[in-house]
Amino acid sequence: MGANAENPAPAVERVFNHIAATGMAGLPLNNPALRVEAVGFRAWNGLWVGVLVTPWAINLMLLPGDGSVFRALLLDEKQTWRFPSGDYEFMGGKDEDLGAYQFCSLFSPAFEFAAHEDARAAAEAVIEELMSTEGTAVEEAATAQERARLEGRPLVDLTVSRRNFLRGGFLGRPS
Amino acid sequence: MVETFYEVLRRQGISRRSFLKFCSLTATSLGLGSAYAPRIAYALENKPRTPVLWLHGLECTCCSESFIRSAHPLAKDVVLSMLSLDYDDTLMAAAGHQAEAIIEEIKKKYKGNYIVAVEGNPPLNEDGMYCIHGGRPFVEILKETCADAKAVIAWGACASWGCVQAAKPNPTRATPIDKVITGKPIIKVPGCPPIAEVMTGVITYMLTFDRIPELDRDGRPKMFYGQRIHDKCYRRPHFDAGQFVEQWDDDSARKGYCLYKMGCKGPTTYNACSTTRWNGGVSFPIQSGHGCIGCSEDGFWDKGGFYNRVTDIKQFGVEANADKIGGTLAAVAGAAVAAHAAATALKRAKSGNDKNDQNGGGK
Repeated sequence: MGANAENPAPAVERVFNHIAATGMAGLPLNNPALRVEAVGFRAWNGLWVGVLVTPWAINLMLLPGDGSVFRALLLDEKQTWRFPSGDYEFMGGKDEDLGAYQFCSLFSPAFEFAAHEDARAAAEAVIEELMSTEGTAVEEAATAQERARLEGRPLVDLTVSRRNFLRGGFLGRPS
Repeated sequence: MVETFYEVLRRQGISRRSFLKFCSLTATSLGLGSAYAPRIAYALENKPRTPVLWLHGLECTCCSESFIRSAHPLAKDVVLSMLSLDYDDTLMAAAGHQAEAIIEEIKKKYKGNYIVAVEGNPPLNEDGMYCIHGGRPFVEILKETCADAKAVIAWGACASWGCVQAAKPNPTRATPIDKVITGKPIIKVPGCPPIAEVMTGVITYMLTFDRIPELDRDGRPKMFYGQRIHDKCYRRPHFDAGQFVEQWDDDSARKGYCLYKMGCKGPTTYNACSTTRWNGGVSFPIQSGHGCIGCSEDGFWDKGGFYNRVTDIKQFGVEANADKIGGTLAAVAGAAVAAHAAATALKRAKSGNDKNDQNGGGK
């Protein structure tokens, strides 16, 4: 294990294709429509991050990049990483060829997907969403509103215009 | 005239220091972050106390056993102080007519403003004669007590789904309480028993914030039942690597591999066991080397043996949310739906802002 100067996606696919053909072969937890594919792997803060689609799960994957910040996790150890869209808790996996990696489960089992293309589209959307800050603004607004509620303050600080009122602006929905 | 929780706790001999400590513990256990602690304190100091009536139907008292063993002695003391004031026929000192009078009194005095927590369920066959409570069928007491309640908590698999007494052929027609109580919000806290911290968490949330936690479509609080055992299981890396225990006590079992092939129901069970764990976070069944038996899922006694491999996941193992329409799983197809599925999955995986302090990304 160690640093990956090159994109580790082909190695990830090779390793998990082997697992699909051996340890996971024939299990009812597999969605037969899906196959192993590493989607959207990219360098990020000295690491490689991407989404791994397999017949049994769709996971966020984190592999060492230039080796500076990555840490192999012990069994039962978790690490939280801050991405633009929020904090995600990863657990550690290990493979002889791949070395240590970290992953965060998104779908398992993954029977939602009728075709592999749909799973890939979802995986692509995941990585895009992961790196986007849009969601956090909405969540922060919701958190602020919750805080206001618990403190017994009015839910909206803004004066609500007549137009906004009629449009349901008092509900505090982001417009 | 109207007393607050804080006043009650002080009267029970709980110091202010302990009270504040309880508030911060509660904030953490609810996943709200320590910043919420002062807000919880504020609410408990200022809001009038909500009484809780705890009823027992057909049950084994494992919910009560779990509850009173809540890990932190302080949380236990505080929450029990809130509860035991009113009615719990297993825990309270009063007995007989004196005890039954409490129900009537609370019903009158706090009409529409008390919470009923139900452990166990009513049997309906033979006019409810299989469970007699103070000389009358339990189902009648249950209906009457809940009639003026603000909300009802269904403790455990019995009250939520029916559990063993409702297993086929269910001779007494034991019935989950949501089939008997209508027109009241019912919060299901399933498990056999539920985790102590989950029970105290749910009840504290309701008493403190005076509202119901966010529920999933099956009526379970999302904060504790939003993820499967499988999603956060510490043996999960072995699952993803295709490493399974094939036989009890084989080499893979000693290595702590995934127990799916030994019948573990982790992939289909929504509960907090793999995160909150049991006995104060010491362990949980899988950590002790046994698969999950799926005790918090509907009808778990009728779903085949504990050691049978889960094979029909498509029927019940998928995230029960808006994606599931009319009882059948809507397949994800098309860009917009894929994006929605992605956003939902990420949101589910996202940690609350209270969680572990380490943050690899920024360093």
